[in-house]
Amino acid sequence: MGTDPQVREVRLSRFERLPWRRIILLALGVTIAATVGFGAYRTLTLPEGQRYSVSAWGDFVVLGAAQGSIYALIALGYTLVYGILRMINFAHGEVFMFGAFGSYFFASAYEESGFLERQPVLALAIILGVAIATSVVVAVLLERIAYRPLRGSPRLVPLITAIGASLFLQNTARGFFGSQTRGYAKPDFLSGKWEVLGVAFPRVRVVVFLVACVSVVLLTLFIGRTTTGKSMRAVAEDSEIASLMGINVDRVIVITFAIGGVLAGIAGVLFAMTFEAVNFYMGFQPGIAAFTAAVLGGIGSIAGAALGGLTLGLLESLGPSLILTGYHVPSPFQLKPAFTFLVLVLVLVFRPGGILGAGEAEKV
Amino acid sequence: MDPIPVRSAVRAGVVGSLVLVYVALVGLIERFADLKLVGEQVTLGRLLLFLPPFAVAYVVARPRVVAGERRVAGPRAGLVAGAVSGVVTSAVFGVAVVLADRFDVVRIRHVFIAATPGLIDFVTFERGVVVGIMILLVLGLASGALGGLAKTGDRRLTRPLAAGVSTVILLGLLQRIVPIAMQELGIEPDFLYSPRTRSLTWGGAIGLLVLAAGADVLWNRSGPETQRRIRATMIEQPAARVGILLIVLAVLVALPLLLGSVISQVLGSVMIFVLLGLGLNIVVGYAGLLDLGYVAFYAFGAYMMALLTGATLNTTTGSSAAAFSLDLNFFIAIWLVVVLAAGVGLLIGAPVLRLRGDYLAIVTLGLGEIVRVLTESRWLQPLVGGPQGMRGVTDAAIAGYSFRNPQHFYYLALAFVLLAVFVSWRLAASRIGRAWNAMREDEQVADAMGVGTTRYKLLAFAMGGAVGSLGGALFAVQIGSLTPASFQILVSITALAVVILGGLGSIPGVVAGAVVLIGLPGLLREFEEFRLLIYGAVLVAIMVLRPQGLLPNVRRMRELHEEEEAQDEWVHRFADEAAAAAAVPGGTLGVEEEDLT
Repeated sequence: MGTDPQVREVRLSRFERLPWRRIILLALGVTIAATVGFGAYRTLTLPEGQRYSVSAWGDFVVLGAAQGSIYALIALGYTLVYGILRMINFAHGEVFMFGAFGSYFFASAYEESGFLERQPVLALAIILGVAIATSVVVAVLLERIAYRPLRGSPRLVPLITAIGASLFLQNTARGFFGSQTRGYAKPDFLSGKWEVLGVAFPRVRVVVFLVACVSVVLLTLFIGRTTTGKSMRAVAEDSEIASLMGINVDRVIVITFAIGGVLAGIAGVLFAMTFEAVNFYMGFQPGIAAFTAAVLGGIGSIAGAALGGLTLGLLESLGPSLILTGYHVPSPFQLKPAFTFLVLVLVLVFRPGGILGAGEAEKV
Repeated sequence: MDPIPVRSAVRAGVVGSLVLVYVALVGLIERFADLKLVGEQVTLGRLLLFLPPFAVAYVVARPRVVAGERRVAGPRAGLVAGAVSGVVTSAVFGVAVVLADRFDVVRIRHVFIAATPGLIDFVTFERGVVVGIMILLVLGLASGALGGLAKTGDRRLTRPLAAGVSTVILLGLLQRIVPIAMQELGIEPDFLYSPRTRSLTWGGAIGLLVLAAGADVLWNRSGPETQRRIRATMIEQPAARVGILLIVLAVLVALPLLLGSVISQVLGSVMIFVLLGLGLNIVVGYAGLLDLGYVAFYAFGAYMMALLTGATLNTTTGSSAAAFSLDLNFFIAIWLVVVLAAGVGLLIGAPVLRLRGDYLAIVTLGLGEIVRVLTESRWLQPLVGGPQGMRGVTDAAIAGYSFRNPQHFYYLALAFVLLAVFVSWRLAASRIGRAWNAMREDEQVADAMGVGTTRYKLLAFAMGGAVGSLGGALFAVQIGSLTPASFQILVSITALAVVILGGLGSIPGVVAGAVVLIGLPGLLREFEEFRLLIYGAVLVAIMVLRPQGLLPNVRRMRELHEEEEAQDEWVHRFADEAAAAAAVPGGTLGVEEEDLT
């Protein structure tokens, strides 16, 4: 009213320049760090008897590493597709589920006939092959039917399609195979434990970890050393220019989905052998966790997905016990899924680029 | 004579047969084998058996572009191509049936649980494999030919027929509600619906077909001018609009009285999902923020209502008081719930504001899951009862008039739905609605134009949360007890499917979506098992084929088709230029220069 408009303007802008967002984020960060630190401290200083023993922590680490390596395999599928199409293939968890389910029938037939014990390595190879084939078929069909017609449409459209496809595939499996959980057979040599330095390593978890490591190394070699890998990198960089350079973009996209399927199939078998069960909704939770892992490591980056998977696996198995036990929360393990999502939210809020993707700031 | 696309017909036939095998193995055919639509003979299972050949034939006969030229197939080509694809569909499917039969279907059943001897019997018409497959082939040929004709035939003939057939199928599907309504109105339904099979009688079906076809013929004969005038009157004349509104209201009020208690229960659920859809529509449709954790608000509304109105925890021995509980009247509590939910919306919205579309979707999905995990956990058991849940939510009674009764509950829900519709409608037309539009279409441009996107995003979350919690609170009143099982992620996805099917940003669309997706499965128990399969298929199909939804919002439709329109415009301009160039011999260059200036 009486004030000079210019002065008001300056005041307003000065007010707006206050970095409220930063202050709030900083406060939030400090609060979370304090909560985590205090909880961990309380957990570790619990009176003797209530405290977790060293070997219990060892178990948590082994469990987390094995679980995390499965997440890493699935996360690679998300990351490869995201790198090329900039879309979240929400139905990737279902690709993983189909791999596990497809191989289940062979595993159970081999168990019945005794082939699984007579020739465990050959049988496992066939089971793995079937799982990979099933997952690849599902992944490629998914791309062809649901995603290809939508290239270049507004961003929400393929995402909604992916959610629909996920629901559709999940319930297809339910219609095909029934809704009950089925026991997944594994050969005897995978049960039992190896004891090293007082920490028990369940054999199946060690094998899971090794297979996952080998797969990641092979994938890295494939992407880095082959011509197809090179064209994948080119399309991820800029698909238009790549197509001008004579790369068949459609083919590269199909190959990407197929590779995601291969990894998901392997992960499906590993997961089913670890938990000795398959059902039609088994893809949801690992799928989301793997997506979290991909974001955690920096989506679009292969090393990031592997690292993110391992990190998330360890966080999940250590976090609830380490932090929540100190606050006397009953059955902290129940809250594991919530913990996964909390990690996802926090990563996206504080470091949207992920651990390795810091250079690429997210555009608003 | 136009050439018949035999090769593409055969290819389409193979695809069709794969679809048919899928439909059979996923269990749809057998599940619907006993759902009779007309007489004893026409069951939904049989219809499903001949829908794929019909559909592929319809697709094969569509106009196609060959070497940049649009070719429309004539009726003869359509008939032949359709018949070829139809017969190929049935033949390949028949081969699969023979193989299954030879291989011993029980063994296949180890993998595909729907592959039963009963299914083989059903698809071979209980006449053995050889005769059965002959019938299959003949009927496949016929439905393929019909499909081809339906696309290429004279529209004066195909349109009334399509109207008639779809009316018959629709009324056949509504066999649980139409007869009840007729009885309430004092009409004996036996001439239309057979009391024994519950399906339409043949006489009734033919009557309906003639009636619907006749209505369609009359409507088309009235000519485009009259049609336009009728439409204009309905939309523009204030008196007509008020009249239509009154009629709609009267029907809405009369519905539960006409349909009885069981169907009113379904209507109540439809109303709850209309509320959820309207709330989600504000967030996704208006503001363009894909929220996959909408169930969080639904759960919040329901549990908050329970806590505020003195519900108790279920325990193995009976019930115990919750750690926090008030004993408010429903009509006070509901406003408290809404305000608190808006606050929760702000809280959820604040940290995720800067996230881009797809990240936002996943984060909100995570938040929804967190809510479910928390309601199930032992940690919060003293407050919300853990897996056993709560009971004794208020029935919102006014002077002894209890809303636990489905018919009464419907009116309560209707009142809130009307309120939410009014709010959505006014919001869309307001300054806020325009700001949301701008933000959805291009956030950066909106920001540059002075729209405070942060504020408006938060507002969308708060408004969406408030409306969603209303749905949750009503749900708590409807069933009186709560368990975490009601608050799965699927609620979010169902609400999304409701909004998407009707069309993002469209209020009538939300209502239509809820009626189709919640009402139909609720009325036909047979659908229940395949509800989620159908939701998934609907989401994919709508996005691929008709992203603007069934009853689109006009602005939204333009947005989604911007690209196509731009292309069309380009094509028109190109054609105009070519025509102009042709008209002025040797003047091509001149025309181009003129255009450029």
